[in-house]
Amino acid sequence: MASPIHRLFSRLSPQLRQHALRRGLTTTARRNAASNFLMPALSPTMTEGTISSWKLKEGDTFSAGDVLLEIETDKAQMDVEAPDDGVLAKIMVKASAKAVQVGSRIAVLAEPGDDLAGLEVPPEKDSKSGSGTPASGENVDEENPRKDTGSPRREHGPSVVESSVRSAPDTAMTGKVYTHSPGVAHLIREHRISEGDASAITTTGPKGRLLKGDILAHLGRINKAHPRELEERIHKLQKLDLSNIKIAPPKKDVGESAKKATEKLDVDRERELKLEVSFGEVLKAQNKLQAALGIHLPLSTFISKATTRANHSLPPVASASDILDELLNLPSMASSRPAKFQPAITALPLPSPRSPTASADILDMLTGAASATTPAVKRTLGIAATGPNVISLTVKSAEEEERGRLFLEKLKSFLEKDPVGLVL
Amino acid sequence: MLKSFVLRHSSRSLLRPLSAKAGGYAPSTFLLVQKRGLASEAEEHDVVVIGGGPGGYVAAIKAAQEGLKTACVEKRGTLGGTCLNVGCIPSKSLLNNSHIYHQILHDVENRGIDVGDVKLNLTQMMKAKEQSVSGLTKGIEYLFKKNGVDYVKGTGTIAGEHEIEVNPLDGGEPQTLRARNIIIATGSEATPFPGLEIDEKRIVTSTGAIALTEVPEKMVVIGGGIIGLEMGSVWSRLGSEVTVVEYLGAIGGPGMDAEMAKTMQRILQKQGMKFKLNTKVMGGDVEPNNIKVNVESAEGGKSEAIDADVVLVAIGRRPYTANLGLENVGIEVDERGRIVIDQEYRTKIPHIRVIGDVTFGAMLAHKAEEEGIAAVEYIKKGYGHVNYGAIPSVMYTHPEAAWVGQTEQEVKAAGKAYSLGSFPFSANSRAKTNLDTEGMVKFITDKETDRILGIHIIGPNAGEMIAEGVLAMEYGASSEDIGRTSHEWAVLTLSKAHPTLSEAFKEAAMAAFSKPIHA
Repeated sequence: MASPIHRLFSRLSPQLRQHALRRGLTTTARRNAASNFLMPALSPTMTEGTISSWKLKEGDTFSAGDVLLEIETDKAQMDVEAPDDGVLAKIMVKASAKAVQVGSRIAVLAEPGDDLAGLEVPPEKDSKSGSGTPASGENVDEENPRKDTGSPRREHGPSVVESSVRSAPDTAMTGKVYTHSPGVAHLIREHRISEGDASAITTTGPKGRLLKGDILAHLGRINKAHPRELEERIHKLQKLDLSNIKIAPPKKDVGESAKKATEKLDVDRERELKLEVSFGEVLKAQNKLQAALGIHLPLSTFISKATTRANHSLPPVASASDILDELLNLPSMASSRPAKFQPAITALPLPSPRSPTASADILDMLTGAASATTPAVKRTLGIAATGPNVISLTVKSAEEEERGRLFLEKLKSFLEKDPVGLVL
Repeated sequence: MLKSFVLRHSSRSLLRPLSAKAGGYAPSTFLLVQKRGLASEAEEHDVVVIGGGPGGYVAAIKAAQEGLKTACVEKRGTLGGTCLNVGCIPSKSLLNNSHIYHQILHDVENRGIDVGDVKLNLTQMMKAKEQSVSGLTKGIEYLFKKNGVDYVKGTGTIAGEHEIEVNPLDGGEPQTLRARNIIIATGSEATPFPGLEIDEKRIVTSTGAIALTEVPEKMVVIGGGIIGLEMGSVWSRLGSEVTVVEYLGAIGGPGMDAEMAKTMQRILQKQGMKFKLNTKVMGGDVEPNNIKVNVESAEGGKSEAIDADVVLVAIGRRPYTANLGLENVGIEVDERGRIVIDQEYRTKIPHIRVIGDVTFGAMLAHKAEEEGIAAVEYIKKGYGHVNYGAIPSVMYTHPEAAWVGQTEQEVKAAGKAYSLGSFPFSANSRAKTNLDTEGMVKFITDKETDRILGIHIIGPNAGEMIAEGVLAMEYGASSEDIGRTSHEWAVLTLSKAHPTLSEAFKEAAMAAFSKPIHA
């Protein structure tokens, strides 16, 4: 969509753009003064170039978009189009000149219809070229820069922008003028606070800036201490909050994490969790069901139901291990899906061991469902109906231990509190 | 010094055969060791940046501009990180184009434009997205060349305090870079949801959500933060029935002003998105033609299953430090995996600094950029600055939401008296003529001093408008200052939300007193 002019526009040096803009803004005003045409930067890196050829002669008129000249850089050869309508008043750097610095004057342009003979040629520094060092030695007809301000022609329509740009330094250099924010300026005027008084007010703004609150405090309209307190609060928010950092538990090598992790598991393998549990309630329930429904449900049914439920009631993620996985960047989905626990049950040696049927059930359970996830199966001694039994669990890592404990507690409570509820 | 250097070398050469074999090359271990030894002596950089995302590439360009010999290690194959490749940029392409589609389908008739058969060409829409992305990533490559940054394609691992081992992408031999300073900018990755295995086809993160090959009939978005709402908007506009499940009681994430979050929810609901707040996702059952997402009220109790063709997991992002080798130099991370730093971005090894998502603070591309510049300035000049109190956030839904500074709930919690001022777009003439009047602008100021504490906008172009708010906050402005606005204030370089047109504004200001990053 962008017209060629626009494209060129965006590539030309800022000075040139400014010129064109200025002209664009003052289309009606004829500024019978010429402007300098500077060596444009055709790429952001370009510092100098060769003028291969001028497409126009001095005195030729051109329209916006016409090719004025051709420039050659180390990378490419490019056309330079006119940003606006005009007249090529004077060519300052002839074709085939090499290493022409970006920002140096290469021509003087005039507005269409300008009288070229009486044209004031502006000085090279006219367009506040700060960047490129102007190539010297070519300013053959350099004229006194300041004289033209008095020339009657300038009265026709000297650019406002230009004149203010020129005069600003003159006045501003005399003293540092501090620009208040609009709200502050208004209060100062409204309350007729002198410049001296204003400069004595304690400031709380960023970089010592005078804020509205400072003036309100100065006028006694608000608590004097308030602006400072507020600034301190805001200042705190401007910093990155690095308080309360909790360092992750130290861990080793990520690069060889897999190896280390397995080693870790090996070390932890022996860990076994135990909890005492009574099957008194379960047996009562068994009898009750037998009496009421005529069904005998083996103890293993109760245990496996309780196991399922206890597994289910665990929080979905083992948070500690998950964080570790995150840090180790283990395949997190696989590891964060918690393994199901399978307990082993043994009677404590003290009470009388009995109940052979139940013991068979336990064996079934252990060989069937449990063996897969319980690598170290404890030898079953049988369970005690009334006395205490021990449910035990082998966990593979320290991280799993916490979950394991929780699991055992849940299992115990399911079996002791409401065994009927488990099977109905 | 010399001793440790020699030691490190010999120990590493012991490890080499192992890693080389794993890679499947290296016929001769001896040769490999020799070559590597040469490489490590040849390359000495002032700064090596690990990660070429918005934090890393900006840091690298800035460092090079400051005259430092700089390299940037990136393993993706293209520069720009998550943001340019699979994040901010491609999602904005889809947001813009899906909005146009939606508008043509549902809105232009009211504006007096009758269109015929409107059809979605998703392939073309994705192509347009890819074009934007590749143009921009190549642009950074050009900027690297232009500024003289060495672009090293590969996985960088910190091998020693001054050494980065790079495993090249193309499978060549690993090379070692030596660096006086290291900047870690490895970013973040989507946090997976336990129990839902990401395949980026049906169960997706934002990465898969910007690359779906057909419009899902039903989509469940887990997480009602900015990413979830943006991607939810895209597919909702293209025809999906979108349900957003959020654990908290409000959308927009914790950073969004509560009143604005509520307004936004109302607007999005009107657009057809469904919301389940205070709802916890228990898991999902993946069936061949359907995914059942099991949800439960966060307070416990009521559970239900929501059907979905695609599930977007957008519950947050976590720091990415895989294979970075932090343990080789003893750099610590916190319990959330963020690399521990001080205010000057230094780890406990002072010449290793960290910026962006992989460390503390908001996970925002423009925050990372600011930090990248500040970190380089600390290296070069011993002074850098980022104002974390004036970093804007933008959500590119339609209308957009944007904010800077504190939320009303935060100000309220601080216990200080405050004032509010807001203005609805329905009373704004441009919004009215555009028939685009949803939303408002809200100022929160200190009651006594009138100093601005926060600015919150929902509305068309909110993301661009917030730039002025950032400027105001940076200057410690009062709301009266804005009310009596003038052009007297000088332009400073401020943090601009990414991606906005106002970034160009900032760059122009930088160009005036220093150098722009992107030109």
